[in-house]
Amino acid sequence: MSDQLLIIAGLSAGTEDKPILHNIDLTVGAGETHVLMGPNGAGKSTLGHVIMGDPIYQVTDGTITFDGQDVTDLGADKRSLAGIFLSYQAPVEVPGVPLYSFLRTICQMRPELKTTARKFRERVGKIADQLDIDQNFLTRELNVGFSGGEKKKIEMLQLLLLRPKLAILDETDSGLDVDALSIVSRGIEAYRKECDGALLMITHNTRILERLTVDRTHVMVHGNLVADGPASLIDDIDAHGFARFEDALAEKAEA
Amino acid sequence: MATQIITADQTDTLALSHVNVPPAQTWNYLRINDIAFDVPTPHFVGDVYARLPQLFGKLECGIGDEAVSWMEHASGDARYVEVRASEPQTVYVDIDSSKTEVHDTGVLVRAGASATIVTCAHGEQGGTSSSLLRVIAERDARVSIVEIVACGEGQQHLDAIGIEAAEGARIEMRQYALGGAKVALGLCCNLAGASSRFVLDTRYLAVGSDVLDVNHVVRQRGRSTRADIVTTGILADAARKTMRETIDLIHGAKFAEGSEIETVLVTGDDVVNKTLPVILCDEEDVAGNHGASIGAISPEQLDFMRSRGLSEDEAERLFVRAMFDDAVIHANGAETRTAVLNRAETVLGADVARDMAEVLGFDTEEA
Amino acid sequence: MAETTDTTRKKSQVADINRSLYDFKMSEEGYERYADGLSTDIVRAISDKKDEPEWMLELRLKALAAYEEMEMPANWGPSIEMLDLNHISAYVSPKTKQASSWDDVPEDIKNTFERLGIPEAERESLAGVGAQYDSEIVYHNMREEVADQGVIYTTIEDALHDPELEPIVHEYFGTLIPMRDHKFAALHYAVWSGGSFVYVPEGVTLPYPLQSYFRLNAQGAGQFEHTLIIVEPGADLHFIEGCSAPKYYEANLHAGAVELFVKDHAKLRYSTIENWSKNMFNLNTKRATVGADSIMEWVSGSFGSHVSYLYPTTFLQGARSSCEFTGITFAGATQDLDTGCKVILNGPDTTASVDTKSISKDGGINTFRSSIVVGRRADRACATVSCASLMLDDISRSDTIPAMDVRNGSASVGHEATIGRISDDTILYLMSRGCSEGEARTMVVNGFADPVSKELPMEYAIEMNNLIKLEMEGAIG
Repeated sequence: MSDQLLIIAGLSAGTEDKPILHNIDLTVGAGETHVLMGPNGAGKSTLGHVIMGDPIYQVTDGTITFDGQDVTDLGADKRSLAGIFLSYQAPVEVPGVPLYSFLRTICQMRPELKTTARKFRERVGKIADQLDIDQNFLTRELNVGFSGGEKKKIEMLQLLLLRPKLAILDETDSGLDVDALSIVSRGIEAYRKECDGALLMITHNTRILERLTVDRTHVMVHGNLVADGPASLIDDIDAHGFARFEDALAEKAEA
Repeated sequence: MATQIITADQTDTLALSHVNVPPAQTWNYLRINDIAFDVPTPHFVGDVYARLPQLFGKLECGIGDEAVSWMEHASGDARYVEVRASEPQTVYVDIDSSKTEVHDTGVLVRAGASATIVTCAHGEQGGTSSSLLRVIAERDARVSIVEIVACGEGQQHLDAIGIEAAEGARIEMRQYALGGAKVALGLCCNLAGASSRFVLDTRYLAVGSDVLDVNHVVRQRGRSTRADIVTTGILADAARKTMRETIDLIHGAKFAEGSEIETVLVTGDDVVNKTLPVILCDEEDVAGNHGASIGAISPEQLDFMRSRGLSEDEAERLFVRAMFDDAVIHANGAETRTAVLNRAETVLGADVARDMAEVLGFDTEEA
Repeated sequence: MAETTDTTRKKSQVADINRSLYDFKMSEEGYERYADGLSTDIVRAISDKKDEPEWMLELRLKALAAYEEMEMPANWGPSIEMLDLNHISAYVSPKTKQASSWDDVPEDIKNTFERLGIPEAERESLAGVGAQYDSEIVYHNMREEVADQGVIYTTIEDALHDPELEPIVHEYFGTLIPMRDHKFAALHYAVWSGGSFVYVPEGVTLPYPLQSYFRLNAQGAGQFEHTLIIVEPGADLHFIEGCSAPKYYEANLHAGAVELFVKDHAKLRYSTIENWSKNMFNLNTKRATVGADSIMEWVSGSFGSHVSYLYPTTFLQGARSSCEFTGITFAGATQDLDTGCKVILNGPDTTASVDTKSISKDGGINTFRSSIVVGRRADRACATVSCASLMLDDISRSDTIPAMDVRNGSASVGHEATIGRISDDTILYLMSRGCSEGEARTMVVNGFADPVSKELPMEYAIEMNNLIKLEMEGAIG
């Protein structure tokens, strides 16, 4: 199992007053691409945030092991430094902090990325070009007044800059127009190629998956992982929806 | 143009007892209604001054008549600039606080003209410096003002700005208070003409036992005027800050809108943080809004930054650096940038200051 | 009599209300009325009449000296130039003894309170009632089962004559509002008369509110009642205060004082519906100190008076104590109302939440004034202030002057204020559904006031809606 990057075992979690995730088992190998699908409100985003260590959620049972280390009780900052990245559905606005200051600070935290200011500038410039991000964004305040598409691009910029071992992309494709979607897809491809990182895609949109080689597909219903399958499962869901998974879960509950 | 008003042997001081008095005051025991300054008594050499055109004398400057009168006398001389539509101009006012300079500047921006005005007070030690800037923006003028106060320890600085905007004029201003032992910023913008607009972005950082005292006043007289004031500040150690912000929606200012928002990050245990955000409203069909939040970084922001690898302490440090970065980005001129970077060096250390200059690409620049 | 009952009943219907509900005068004939103005003689005469302990007389005389010496702040607040203390009588008393049955209250005074609906409310929903007419309490009564639990609800005068209560009054009276707090606090202590003394013993929860009603009938007079409430640990009280007066053409003055002591794990809700007439100068002082894990709630509706200076103050001294302030102020023609609140957060983990509304119309002036002070020891204290102002025309005025002084790095303080008008779209929408413009506007204003009225007991919420309707009727020609 040592080649597994992320091992989630028997994980249950929720908010203070409401359990959301039930007994989740999930493994992602280094460099693999996984897709997590499920109807709205199934708990997919919650799983992403729990893996990241969002303090809104409490783990009530089970463990999360990342890169050989039990991270269940680690704060989000430590998990980030260990190589987990979560792209936010709605990235937070941070007035008073120019994007440049933010990017420089989060890079300098990491020994593997620490570099001279000049090289840093070159790297940021290159990635910004790759994602069609205007250079003047770099002097603007982080996410303040950015459109939805711009915010997502800035998330991709951070993904490519930080080169994490595992990227969890939470509905990165939602609410994007065609152009923005193709840029974001380009970013995901670049991440797979350049960083050779693992990917956990949370989505209902299968279009963004077309250009990716998917290793494994997981289906979540009502906070339970109900199915696991190869890439072809995506086409099946595309055609038939989640109804049969929901029915199966209901039957199981009755039994 | 600027007069050095204090000499080594001069010890007379004058007490300015009511500086930065807001239009509407409140309980005196809160000690929020004004601040007092001891300033050097002006030396007169002869009694002939080059005065600004008299129309500048009518401008309200936020800091109060007592302080304005002192500045006029202490500067002994005034600089007048007229900007015409045919020739956009950038006006620099460089105040060397170490030399205790006092500047009195008047800028008349003619109808349809564009002007950029940069004032920068900086220095390393001792003394009282001051800048009085008055701006008249005629119809449809565009004025961009950057005001930087990057004074050092032991320095006292008074900065006053009076602005009058005629119909359709647009004033965009960035104000940075980055240092000084005792600093007063007074500002009044009179939106006299219909559809005139004022946008103010204020950033402040007060550390050590710095005292920062601010009085922002916007008089909205014209119909459909708009004022947007956004203030972001950081208070560390035992810094003391008083921020007064007044939006005055005067009778007749139909359809006017004014808003002010202040966000303060407090990192010190001995900080005194006073805020008086006032909306005065004497008209029906207007909108006035105010919001303030005082305390730590918001949980959402903190969670987001954590997910990118920053602890709370590191996030706080980032906010301080970001304030200097932002000032460098908007400093508009090599000398001003150098002043900001020098101050950053004092607060954050030489390594960070150098890194800032390099990341932003100003490391090869000669001031 | 039949007509009176009629009026009382109508009070509970929003429609068909008229000003005569509050604006009726009774003859002062045969009353004891002291000479206008202030002097040592008058102060001694009041004290003599009340047969007070020596310490109280001394306190009065000291306060008088302080009053003569102190000045009004010149740099803020509405003008009180019109208020000439030389033409205000500090003490006016109806010739009657305090009664504990309405049948023993003189007919004209009883009629007054009947019209205001007090006896009816007492029967239906109150644990006890006190009624003050000019300078003296004329009626005081409390349900037996409440008295049996050891709850004391009486006047301060009576408490001073009770050997068991006198030391308690002595211990607390004047300690929360110092006489030198401001000029009118000093005046209050010199000539105070009437008011309430409430003591709720440890662990006692009152099932119904207590209510004091203050009626100032005499022209050119002052009312200076003192309310002292002590809520012992674990106890819970809701106290309601109502005030009204008929309209005169010369100034009346109200300078009451309210001192509230809320001990640990206790709760006090203090509700006020104030409808003084528009010749009243209302310079009232209210203050509460709150112990650990305790709750202080203020609900305040200010409709009347010519000039008001009113800022209930809460000291959150104990850890985890909290304060909630919900208020509405309605300023119409000739009114200049400077109202708000002060909260001082001293204990760790204290919380304060202030939510106020103001409505200005017909040239009325509203000033919301507040201060939130977070002390150095108040770790993790949290305060939010929200105030919304509604302008109903372009000759009125509404100012918002909130101050904050925060001295603890872990505290969080938030503030928001909005000033605006009723949107034309809203009015048009309601009119398109068949409301007249007047009805539509009243509806919107009532909706705006709703967060306050829903904090009040039903009868008072109805009274407040009636007051709003009354004020709104003038607005639409």
